[in-house]
Amino acid sequence: MFNIAIESGPFSENLEDFDSIRSVLLYSDLEPEWLDNVQKNGELFYLELSESEEEVAVARAHGNDGLSTNHVRFSDNEAEVITEADGKQRSGRRAKGEPKLKKLARLLRRKRPSQRRAGKTEAKDGGSLPASILKTQAGQRQGVTVKTVKEVCVYVNPKRLTPLPNGGGGLLASLLGLVHRPCASRGPGNPAAGGGGETLTVHGLVPNSPAIRGGQILIGDVLVAVDDVEVTTDSIERVLSCIPGPTQVRLTLETSAPAEGATSVAAGGPPAAAAPQPRPKASPPVSQLVRLLWGEDTAELQMSMGHVPHVAMYLSLQLDAEALQEEQEILYQYPVSDASSQLKGVRGVFLTLCDMLENVTGGHITSSSLLLGRHLVHVGYWKEGSRLLVLGLPAESVPLLYLQSVLSGVVRTLQVMYGSLDSAFCLADHAPRLDHFFCLFFQQLLQPSRLTDGGPGAPWPAPQTPDASGSLFLDGLPAVRWLSLPPEIKMKVDTVLSDFESSDFGELSEDFFGLRRLYMILGSCLFYKGYLIANHLPREDLLDVCLYCRHYCLLPLACGQRVGQLVVWREVFPLHRSQQRAPCRGVPPAAAEARYAPPRARHFLLIVGLRHLMQCVLMEAGGAASPALGSPGPDCIYIDQVKATLLQLEVLEGGMEERLSAPAAPCLSCADWFLPAASARDRHGAASPSSSSSPVLSKLAGAMRGPSAGARGLFGDKARRSSPKRNLSDSGNDGPPQDPGAGVSPDPARRLGARRDSLGSGGSDGSGSLLKIPRMKNPNPFYLGTLKKILTERETEDMFNSIKLTSGVENTLFHYVLMEAVQGIFIAPTHRDMAQLSGSIHPQLIRNFHHCCLSIRAAFQQSLPPRGPRGAAERTRRPLGMGPIKEHGVLFQCKPQNWTDQKKPAPTMTYWVIGRMLLEPVPQEFYVCFHDSVPEVPVELAFRLSFGLAL
Amino acid sequence: MMLQDGSTQVLCLTANSGVPLFTRGASKQLPFSVIGSLNGVHMFGDGQGVVLSSCQTDCGGRVVWRVFHDSVMLIAVNGGHGSTGVIQGHVKGEELFLERLLENIWNCMVLVLGRDELTNMRNVERLKKDLRSCFGLIDQLLEDRHQGIMGNLTHCADCLLPPNPALVQEAVNGFTQSVDSEFGCLVVHGRVAAATENWWRLAPQEVILLSALMRMLSSSGSASCDYPVFLPQGSPTVAHRLLRFQLLPGADVCVLCGPTPSLQKAQSDLVRQFWSPLVETLRDCLAVGERCLPGTVSLRVPDVLALLVLNREARRSVSCVRPSADDSPTLPSKARCWELLRLFYIFAATRYFSQEEAPVPGALAEEKAHSRSSASGDFVAGFPHQPLQCYLVTEECKCYGLQTQQHQLFLLTPLSVPTFALRNVATQTLLAVTADTGF
Repeated sequence: MFNIAIESGPFSENLEDFDSIRSVLLYSDLEPEWLDNVQKNGELFYLELSESEEEVAVARAHGNDGLSTNHVRFSDNEAEVITEADGKQRSGRRAKGEPKLKKLARLLRRKRPSQRRAGKTEAKDGGSLPASILKTQAGQRQGVTVKTVKEVCVYVNPKRLTPLPNGGGGLLASLLGLVHRPCASRGPGNPAAGGGGETLTVHGLVPNSPAIRGGQILIGDVLVAVDDVEVTTDSIERVLSCIPGPTQVRLTLETSAPAEGATSVAAGGPPAAAAPQPRPKASPPVSQLVRLLWGEDTAELQMSMGHVPHVAMYLSLQLDAEALQEEQEILYQYPVSDASSQLKGVRGVFLTLCDMLENVTGGHITSSSLLLGRHLVHVGYWKEGSRLLVLGLPAESVPLLYLQSVLSGVVRTLQVMYGSLDSAFCLADHAPRLDHFFCLFFQQLLQPSRLTDGGPGAPWPAPQTPDASGSLFLDGLPAVRWLSLPPEIKMKVDTVLSDFESSDFGELSEDFFGLRRLYMILGSCLFYKGYLIANHLPREDLLDVCLYCRHYCLLPLACGQRVGQLVVWREVFPLHRSQQRAPCRGVPPAAAEARYAPPRARHFLLIVGLRHLMQCVLMEAGGAASPALGSPGPDCIYIDQVKATLLQLEVLEGGMEERLSAPAAPCLSCADWFLPAASARDRHGAASPSSSSSPVLSKLAGAMRGPSAGARGLFGDKARRSSPKRNLSDSGNDGPPQDPGAGVSPDPARRLGARRDSLGSGGSDGSGSLLKIPRMKNPNPFYLGTLKKILTERETEDMFNSIKLTSGVENTLFHYVLMEAVQGIFIAPTHRDMAQLSGSIHPQLIRNFHHCCLSIRAAFQQSLPPRGPRGAAERTRRPLGMGPIKEHGVLFQCKPQNWTDQKKPAPTMTYWVIGRMLLEPVPQEFYVCFHDSVPEVPVELAFRLSFGLAL
Repeated sequence: MMLQDGSTQVLCLTANSGVPLFTRGASKQLPFSVIGSLNGVHMFGDGQGVVLSSCQTDCGGRVVWRVFHDSVMLIAVNGGHGSTGVIQGHVKGEELFLERLLENIWNCMVLVLGRDELTNMRNVERLKKDLRSCFGLIDQLLEDRHQGIMGNLTHCADCLLPPNPALVQEAVNGFTQSVDSEFGCLVVHGRVAAATENWWRLAPQEVILLSALMRMLSSSGSASCDYPVFLPQGSPTVAHRLLRFQLLPGADVCVLCGPTPSLQKAQSDLVRQFWSPLVETLRDCLAVGERCLPGTVSLRVPDVLALLVLNREARRSVSCVRPSADDSPTLPSKARCWELLRLFYIFAATRYFSQEEAPVPGALAEEKAHSRSSASGDFVAGFPHQPLQCYLVTEECKCYGLQTQQHQLFLLTPLSVPTFALRNVATQTLLAVTADTGF
């Protein structure tokens, strides 16, 4: 259903075209492939990888003892898959035939738009559409969900058969230890295979048999082959009887449920036995998403985190003294492993402190610090009613300064997803979802680097790994990473989104069926490769949506062509909307459903991703649209509309990509350029020994000596090498690439022009006249994409030079983050910009920058009084005592690593990291990192940067 | 709410049995049940291999636990600003402050009673009685009666730089030798004006504590006294004599010595012999007053609201507030300046400037581990590059912190100083303070 012809050339403005796309999607009457993954409660999380990704996964699977999945498809709720396993295995055999079909379908579907010129008329005819393959396939959907093929080697000895109590079962039971009941597999949904006999489903395992000893064969598996000989019920006895003596045989089995998930449940493995829990959650939940992102098994990851104490617990403060059940106060706990056992053991401490400190000091406890052996662990508390959420994290991952904001982030995510903490934790069937939730949560916090290193196609194309404090800082900002687009592309994107949101055409319009529409679209936002490019949602809603996306790592996924197709549907409880209907909170949704009065709206989040694009749509049921009853599942019409929108937008991808690959604007410098590297030093030494050795050092010394030398000594170093900024566009990687010596200094007029121009971007008109290019009269640093087309290459280069935020001749800006609190967005150099500035010091500098930003932002937060209605939700800490902090800066010094020269001291470079909070005219937070040589006035920097931020 | 806003209470219990030994601070003592559960929480965790070290509440309340030598448990509870949101008294809610406070209190108990008495508790009732003799000193540490004293927090001895250091130094050396001692010190306005070389070799915590003791003794008004002290690090089990003589009101000299000479003899002969020729010099020292810096040090007075200079190696500090006489109402009051200076010190020290303490020999391994992990000190370790300077702009003033190999400077300036000039003001100030005085 995707092979729709779109004019791949210029963007088509013809709305009728798109209507036809929509109508194709709508009338094609196909059953979508995600339909099987819809949960009982209507939720859907369907992720299909791109082809390249799957090939990698398969390749890895082969190297991985064959125990892995071919398709990474998973649902939000593993436990349900397990419970449905019985039903699914029936069609296990049939599933075998499917991959080919699917592959074909996908291949056909994924043709580039340019190749899809087949024409929409054909598509409408629908005759021999590749999409129809999908359709027929949809009929056989039971087997699609998860299919694992695994090979198990067992040692068998025909001379020593296991004696069986009832004597039945033949060699299959006595030799291998597998029990198969012939009639059980014959269900109504299972069209018995032809004359070749039936599938050999494992219905039981014989104690002490070879099969059970390995622990890899599970009840519900289907035995496909023995030593590569395909077997059925008819042939198995014959095949087994051919085994002459003690030997090792290789069994090929198919599992239709996730392997690990089933392990403890079906085989009753040691973890389940060791920790008798009210619900079967003893095993770590298999999260295929985790595996996908970290490239490893959950179990392995858990092992590597086993020594790091961390825990999430939801405790009840009201204890029923009469019920003597142990651990009854623990409503929820994750993980159930050694990592958390000690912290779980002292939960009494948390409960007592929570209760007592309120009486003693009159405030709620927010955190406490514990020493576990050598680990310092910070514990955060969140009290809601008579329940307490406790989160323990090691200090090295989350500094105490930032614990509260991490905690409030989790709480808000849970509130958005489930309405309230109580409804999240207190429903028994939420437990596996929460396991999944916290598994992801801890992975992201404790092993952020593995997230980026481990994956096959690292999510960010940058070699630079976002560091721990970096992800902590950026994820903690109440804002989304924004990519500003050239205006015409932006306009088109906005138009397409608005068209979609108006929902006044086709089946979305009320006239069509003469019915009230099901959902009203409140707004949507669009991501391209993980950057927000358009947003039509109010800020709070955007943040809610973004919290969800961040939590499930959807943004990095979209970046590296990892997503083929993504469909997420779930009910959400946007924070500020649900606060208006507070009375209903705390009631589990199941009970609340009956009580939902018509005027009370419910909200649904729909996320559809196609390759690099991802659109999040927030919809409202009730209110203007018809009220939602029960737990409605995803609505095909809406999903198809979003898909159509995305397909429409794909045409614009070229423009977006161009913006993304355009050189960084504002210009950035690489830290290494300011530090003479060992190799470069020799070259420089010959030309101008005095200045090249370390201009910075002398400057620093000057600053220490007195005011005359001062910090303002930029022009003191006349003989400085040519400005490093110019190298950015052409030669990113090789240090100071240009000859420092004679005659490179650009002619003064050009410099002056550039200088003036950069000031011009600060808002003064007409200052660009020196360059005599009318277009550049008011250059906006963020609209380079368009400028690049117009200007010649030479001129463009000049432009790049001029677009810098710092004053002075050289560009001294290393990094920046600007957060616009009103819009809920932030801008920072793109990952690609950062990748271009490779070097040895620079990544370190970025890490340092982010770590420092944590502190700066914490200082800002602490000094702010709690604001308005959100004060209660965010629970900002007390004012610091120093009063509101407006600006905070730290000067750092760095030295090159591995300095070998014994005689000379290592050269040093100093740079500032400055944060500033502006409350007027619009609340902004601004973090910048620049070289020490120019005394910048951060306000001015901030102003220049925000000027380019047109929304 | 059982604890008043901003008040701090220190609880002392025996570590193994949980018998309360004393409670200081705050007018209303916490009920016994609360004391019991505060202790019980820690003990329970300890049994599970989890050592509770601190916790905080959303309105600034804080509790810090610390066990010393497996025998004494000290708990500091701060009430926070509660609902009233008082601005003052924030320093006492800071973790660093409370941690240092507990350490100081423990050292003070050792100073007065000796370590053996505290670690081998045979008779708890008697110990309770004996501990009463520490209360004066503990109360002084708790209440921070002396506004300008930063040493309790910084663990660097507060100094006063006399106008003519050589003369004073000579007198202190001579006087100390005459009583057969190597440890002697002149205290002016509660700050060390001069001391023998060996006095500076004492652990910084001891110097701080002895200074505090001197302040307490001199405020009692007696002309001289003979006070037995144990040195918490240097000689925790053998007592020395601390002889103190008042030279002028506000100027005291003290020596640590053995059994001889008697107080009588020293006072009648030696004090007169060494100090009577120096009365004018001492008056000059007293005239320096709260400024702590001699007149020769020229500060850019209107630009300096308060300053604190630490000598990192010698563990000494000089601090002063509002050196200028102008009383413009737009500037924060003197008391507020001290508070801000402390807050800024805590801010910078816990986030950026490592506070490497002189390694204390004989400290238990666990205590070393504790001090390493204390406060948010772990945050400093997270920086790949070394922080050198930092500044803050708040609504009341601007703060600038700067560290060099040898010194740390914490400076408060009025808002009128432009931000880009802060760095120059700071470097000049540091230079002015250190260059002439050799501090």
